[in-house]
Amino acid sequence: MRTAHTGHRNGLEGGTRALAITAENFSWQHTDREQAAFSQLNFRIPPGQKVLLLGPSGAGKSTLLHAMAGVLHHDETTTSSGTLSIGDHSAFAHTATVGLMQQDPETQIVQAKVGDDVAFGAENLGVDPAQIAARITPALAAVGLSDLSAEHPTQQLSGGQKQRLALAGILAMRPSVMLLDEPTANIDPEGAGLLRQAVLQAASDSGATLVVVEHRVERWLDAMDRVLVLAPGGGISHDVAPRALREDLHLRSELATAGIWIPDYLPATSAFTRNPGATLLTADSLQARRASAARAGEAVDLEIKAGSATVIRGANGAGKTTLALTLGGLLEPAAGVLHASDVLAGDAGSTPFRWKAGQLVARIGSVFQEPEHQFVAQTVAEELAYGPRRAQAADPDAGFSQEFIEQRTGELLERLGLLHLAQANPYTLSGGEKRRLSVATVLAARPDVLILDEPTFGQDANTWREVVELLGEVLLDGAAVIAVTHDEHFARALGAEQIHLEAVAAPPGSPRQEGPIAAAVPDSWLARRNPLAKLAAIIAITVPLIATIDPVSGAVVIVATLLMLPLANLGIGRFLKRAWPLVLAGVVAAWGIALVGEDAGRTLLTLGVFTITEGSLAGGFATGMRALGMAIPMVLILSTTSPSDLGSALSQQLRVPHRFVLGALAGMRLLGLLAEEFTTLKLARRARGVGNFGSPVQRLKANLGQVLALLVQAIRRAGRLATTMEAKGFGVGPRSWLHTPHFGWRDVLVIGVGLAVATMAAMIAVWTGHWNLVWS
Amino acid sequence: MTTTPLRRTSTWRVADIVVASVIAVASGVVFWGWNASYGFVSLAFVAFPPASAFVSGMWLFPAVLGALIIRKPGAALYCELLAAVISALLGSQWGIAVLISGLVQGLGAEVIFAALRYRLWNLPAAMLAGTFAGLFGAVTEAYILAYFVEYTAGMKIFHVVAMSLSGLVIAGILSFVATRALARTGALSALPSRRANLEPVFGTVRP
Repeated sequence: MRTAHTGHRNGLEGGTRALAITAENFSWQHTDREQAAFSQLNFRIPPGQKVLLLGPSGAGKSTLLHAMAGVLHHDETTTSSGTLSIGDHSAFAHTATVGLMQQDPETQIVQAKVGDDVAFGAENLGVDPAQIAARITPALAAVGLSDLSAEHPTQQLSGGQKQRLALAGILAMRPSVMLLDEPTANIDPEGAGLLRQAVLQAASDSGATLVVVEHRVERWLDAMDRVLVLAPGGGISHDVAPRALREDLHLRSELATAGIWIPDYLPATSAFTRNPGATLLTADSLQARRASAARAGEAVDLEIKAGSATVIRGANGAGKTTLALTLGGLLEPAAGVLHASDVLAGDAGSTPFRWKAGQLVARIGSVFQEPEHQFVAQTVAEELAYGPRRAQAADPDAGFSQEFIEQRTGELLERLGLLHLAQANPYTLSGGEKRRLSVATVLAARPDVLILDEPTFGQDANTWREVVELLGEVLLDGAAVIAVTHDEHFARALGAEQIHLEAVAAPPGSPRQEGPIAAAVPDSWLARRNPLAKLAAIIAITVPLIATIDPVSGAVVIVATLLMLPLANLGIGRFLKRAWPLVLAGVVAAWGIALVGEDAGRTLLTLGVFTITEGSLAGGFATGMRALGMAIPMVLILSTTSPSDLGSALSQQLRVPHRFVLGALAGMRLLGLLAEEFTTLKLARRARGVGNFGSPVQRLKANLGQVLALLVQAIRRAGRLATTMEAKGFGVGPRSWLHTPHFGWRDVLVIGVGLAVATMAAMIAVWTGHWNLVWS
Repeated sequence: MTTTPLRRTSTWRVADIVVASVIAVASGVVFWGWNASYGFVSLAFVAFPPASAFVSGMWLFPAVLGALIIRKPGAALYCELLAAVISALLGSQWGIAVLISGLVQGLGAEVIFAALRYRLWNLPAAMLAGTFAGLFGAVTEAYILAYFVEYTAGMKIFHVVAMSLSGLVIAGILSFVATRALARTGALSALPSRRANLEPVFGTVRP
């Protein structure tokens, strides 16, 4: 029940009251080992209480939070019993408004524009559009994003900003309960501080009951009312006041053993003494950049010696990861020199970027931030054997005999406590196991330099210690370690030398690449028209072009399109920039037809069995003009229509089911992200020894592996995105819409112009005697 | 302890819709990535243009992959149509007509899964669906949209046969292999195909 109150301090509190969360003998079990489970939970969280929920990994914290949000689904692998209630009703009945934030910032955002994303949840609840509009500004203010306009593309936000935007969307729903599942695990410390502030502000503004799951306890503890600790396998093991985590020594040691970052605690690690040896890598005014179009980072001078540890720190956007990729021989330096000494390079030459993937793995190992990006095999054991095999294949003198590889694999499995998982699929391991495996797979080929990107991000205290110990041994073995990290404890534990990168200011007017599908289109006459009218016009124009194949009708359409460029506020330069691939494709199509088309008239060129004649050339020209005639008007429409406006019109005016339209739009928003991930995968796999060498079959296999890895990431992201959408009330009841598309006389005019161009194209073709019906 | 009985439902959950959408989007990324790294694939076939139909199965694989993963009525059609929308958004030489191709190709695969009453998701089903996606698409391109008016009758038939074969191999077999590989990673754990890797390649699954 949503009742309106008036006279709030900032328009966010009230509306919905906070509700209690009650579990009575609540159990949830899985037959798969994918998700954690729990049994016999009993607790009551009174309305408005702020609770920190802790527990060892695998105790089912996320599962419980999903259950509270009502987004946990039954299937044939689950059994449940007992009850979990929000207020007086079952959590699964969706009677209360419950907000859920997960840890992956990319999937907490649904819409392409900031304002629309804040409105999304409230729209799903069917809130009056005028009320939604009034909630957007205060919601953004509460999370510290007031300086963003409603039209700002969500794709351009940082991870921390995305999390805060998601929170604003939850606030606009007027939640009774807010649930946060490791909200800061994937964002940097600075962003995490701002997010914490926003969450506490939001909780106090809305008065909602708050449950936070987080490994990094320190960040939240003092703002909370209560700490609940889940026991692995079932039940609540502790139900205490926050200060108990500072005072109760028994509790502290128990939680520390479970890997929880309790306040003022740092896992004990061995002390390492090191004796730096020979120089391995030298960077001389080295500048890194991600792609040829991107800006280059600060120039860096570095000398990496055997047995030494170096930590690269610096603000976001300083290009730390890009520098690490460049040092790893995965990206070509933008400027300056990266020189590998003879000790490191052997006979491979002094430029790491030029090495074959198999040569690289035995010399410089790169561990990416996301372990799954680097998995290339079906089992953990194969995964460990992969690198040495690649190194041996690239260099017969590498010394990785079959026996050696088996021994090394066994050794690493035992060292990492993964022996019982040797035959498991790497993707099915737990987060901590994946992290250890990803380091071990790279160590397997015994590189002299090991480069790691944020190796301790989101790790619990146990995994953290294991990673530090493992790297300590690597240093003792005489290899060099380079790490990009925000974690100063990590740097200190390894006794690392630290370098700081300064953020390179973005030149004005160069926003981050948005990807091929723009969120917002620049204003123009055509941009203000109804998307369906434009769609109808383009269908009308396409009909005669499908019906006939002649050079004239296509030409008429192209000329008409060019004449309309001012309506789209589009200069010829920007138009050509978008249109040139189509022009090229048109030329290719024309060439194909010219080659195989029916021969007639004078022979112009003979190519093997084919001849290009005047007749076939004319056919090719007609085909090319037809293709261009179909493609060029689309450029005009695409540069003046945002996909979300089109989706909105399709749902509201054509009654296409909104679940599918909005689901498709949410998926399409991941396009740019997945494209970026596809590129990263290529680098991550090169770092594992997957190269573009060998027979066509091997290359094909390498490519298919990359596609599979992309699909895994895509489907996982889709699952999280679906959870976000469901938690925001999507797909349940009738929905309201913040923007209602308008259809007026100008839109009728657009359709009229489309019909006129179509008629003109057909008539001119007929008059000039070129009309050539394709089905005749 | 209560046990929830196995539910086989044909309604789409939010997760089904979003996963299907993202499969189509990821396919778009793959096409884009391959185009970017190999140049225009069709350029390789400049010597004999109709042979380009051999790789056009690549454009059909969202239909079969989507259906094998989502296992819902309409999945093949939805994924292929959305993949076509994305290729139109990225810029297609056939403009809006690419939507017709997507619709027809998706329909080709959908017809097979519907004929099997959405109960069979094994290799032969995938191969048939892939073949029909290619067949439907090629017939439309060659005879209805008439993209190749200048081809001889023999070349048009060659195009239809080559695209069907391509659909069989790339959309059919590869999608089937990919679905099983995905199931092994646990990525499909929330979907009806979560155990695809354990199901018989040729036989049927008893519920």
